[in-house]
Amino acid sequence: MKKVLTGNQAIARGFYEAGGLVAASYPGSPTVEILETLKKYDGIYAEFSTNEKVALEVAIGASLYGARAMASMKHVGVNIASDPLMTFTQTAINGGFVLVSGDDPGMASSQNEQDNRIIGKFANMGIFYPGSSQEAKDYVKYALDLSERFQTPMMIDITSRVCHSRGVVKLEDREEHKPQGFKRDQEKYCMLPPYTFKAQHFMRERIEKLREYAYNAPFNILEEVEGSDTLIVTSGLMYYNLKELNLPVSIYKLGMVYPISIRRMRELSERYRRIIVIEEMMPFIENELKLMGVDCKGKEYFSFTGEIHTEDIEEALYRMGVVNNRKYEKAKAVEVVSRPPMFCAGCPHRPVFDILKKLNVTVIGDIGCYSMAVLPAFKAAHVSLSMGATLGVTKGMNKAMRLNGDKKPVVSVIGDGTFFHSGLPGFVNLLHQIDEEDNMTFIILDNRTTAMTGGQQNASSGRYNENDDMRVHIKALLNSIGIDNVKEVDQFNYKETREAIRQATREKGISVIITTRPCALKYRIREPHFYVDTDLCISCRTCVKLNCPPIRMKKYEGIDELKSYIDPDDCVGCSVCSQTCPVGAIKRSE
Amino acid sequence: MVRNIVLAGVGGQGLVLATRIISEAAFRAGYDVKTNDVIGLSQRGGRVWGSVRYGNNIYSPNIPPGQGDMLLGLEPLEAYRWTHLMKEGAYVIINEKVVYPTPVLLEEEEYPYEEIDSLRDKFNVIRINARDEAKMAGNIKAANAVMLGLMARYLEIDTDIWEEVLRENVPSKDVEANITAFYRGYNK
Repeated sequence: MKKVLTGNQAIARGFYEAGGLVAASYPGSPTVEILETLKKYDGIYAEFSTNEKVALEVAIGASLYGARAMASMKHVGVNIASDPLMTFTQTAINGGFVLVSGDDPGMASSQNEQDNRIIGKFANMGIFYPGSSQEAKDYVKYALDLSERFQTPMMIDITSRVCHSRGVVKLEDREEHKPQGFKRDQEKYCMLPPYTFKAQHFMRERIEKLREYAYNAPFNILEEVEGSDTLIVTSGLMYYNLKELNLPVSIYKLGMVYPISIRRMRELSERYRRIIVIEEMMPFIENELKLMGVDCKGKEYFSFTGEIHTEDIEEALYRMGVVNNRKYEKAKAVEVVSRPPMFCAGCPHRPVFDILKKLNVTVIGDIGCYSMAVLPAFKAAHVSLSMGATLGVTKGMNKAMRLNGDKKPVVSVIGDGTFFHSGLPGFVNLLHQIDEEDNMTFIILDNRTTAMTGGQQNASSGRYNENDDMRVHIKALLNSIGIDNVKEVDQFNYKETREAIRQATREKGISVIITTRPCALKYRIREPHFYVDTDLCISCRTCVKLNCPPIRMKKYEGIDELKSYIDPDDCVGCSVCSQTCPVGAIKRSE
Repeated sequence: MVRNIVLAGVGGQGLVLATRIISEAAFRAGYDVKTNDVIGLSQRGGRVWGSVRYGNNIYSPNIPPGQGDMLLGLEPLEAYRWTHLMKEGAYVIINEKVVYPTPVLLEEEEYPYEEIDSLRDKFNVIRINARDEAKMAGNIKAANAVMLGLMARYLEIDTDIWEEVLRENVPSKDVEANITAFYRGYNK
């Protein structure tokens, strides 16, 4: 039977077919859908864990017991998980173990563009690199098999395009893999010296065996064209983009990009006059070939950043003299007004950032929907780095300011998902060496969901949503560790929220404000809409500057000046615009 | 034979579901198919776009520049933004319902009404108020079914396949409205 699946769905299917038992993840584009799909399969335990490190550890535990296990996360998530990964990889794997890393060339929805093949190699793992949904499924199955056969953790490194691309996939039945249980063996599983000494040699031998296996592995495919003196080595989507050109050149497609068979590559390099490597982001395969002494060209003809499309490949091969005629011309993008993302109608973040913008304070942001406060409509966050970073960064900046005699406040914002992901250790750390001159305000945007990635549950969502099983009360939690100045405010009460934030920034010490409105999108909140009374509107645009999708200036029949207008179809009745209107011109419809 | 369909719209307009329905219909009609579901932040308000390619054998999900046969624009400006991917004479189907982007809402830039009008000089432009048509079909949320119906007229996939796929992919309570909406588009 065949079915159309996305790359993410195909990974989940592969895990299911391979008899996978335990899967864990933390939601992050482009891999969110893998775990969401796995939750629907019978016979698999699947969870979104608190963060990627915990997710990896959950999968490790299952693997140690002999179950086939998988952890999936976005590329930067692997950074969080890298501590257990770098040590777990020293052990001899029992149940097949796969780490899926969703890379994002072109950064469609990420804060950086790191190429996690580097991390895979660093961690002494074999790395598969799928280019289609069919390959995504097949490679998960290969990876789990090889993981057990070579006692190695395996990585599936998949790019955002392939995660989100659909293709036809042949489905097969699930094969059962009953775990053999955990066999106590300290030498194998307790990574302390002297056991770690041996582990170094074990990892090296393991990779070399896998390299030998790669020589004839069924997923590394050599397509030779008679008469071609050029061999293109490629993998993933680049293979399919290249195939679009239908060129008379030989291709070596690597299903597994690490380790690469030295024997195979040396043989090929003797047969071909010219070897070209096509890959996105870093010259990973190219460097591997060069380390083996195989002469090749690649990155000098391709961009080191962003995606590489069929037309880019054609253009590079043209410059190298491999093709003589070009089929495609790189299209010039239409120059037209941009459309940056914006907070939804009724988004509970909107009043908070309108207040912060007007207070003109330095705001250390974090990762979530509220990262969009950085964008031009608000420009109300001034640092945005990585998950949970706001706590330490705020404290460090605050300390430097105090030592420098700078008395201004620092404001930090963090969402509930990020709070539980990695914000909590930062909060505990605030308690250390508090000084009376400190002035830090922490705003926790508790919207009861991990919104940016599609509204997954987190540790506080059960307080709003009965179906969710975690009901952590953030205020009680902070109070219990000794952070006393914690206020909960309803940010749809604009004035009260503004006063709470203003007061907090004037107070010394640590102030915490928790905003309590839930995500409007996830919980589909809709109240009677608002409208503009044009007789009262003074065209001041205070409401327009809230950057709410239904609010704009409009030419009304018979009125010269533009007046504000609220599209009733899109307004969800949050009331924030009506509260900021200086003349009371915005009224509720019912 | 390869058919290249570009989809463009605003985050939250149901582009993922539309992509899924088209790819499913093409697959059932016996074609190989590849898609890009959504490129861009899928949060509301941002620009999003995707593609469906079907034919006898499809390698890449990406449509090379100038090769698009059909553009399904769920919003006029977003349709305009991706026209550089299209062949001359391609079908450009536009839902008339404008969603203003932030720079227009903030009065920093103009909405490109004239440029969108002039698309008809180069392409087969079909404009429709899909939201109104969907309202008449009984469900304002069935606007994309109207658009799919309009597009289906120019594709080699039978209407009974479209119907079947719609039935399986929209919430059961909305099935009839979606099928009515599909035929409102198809018979336009």
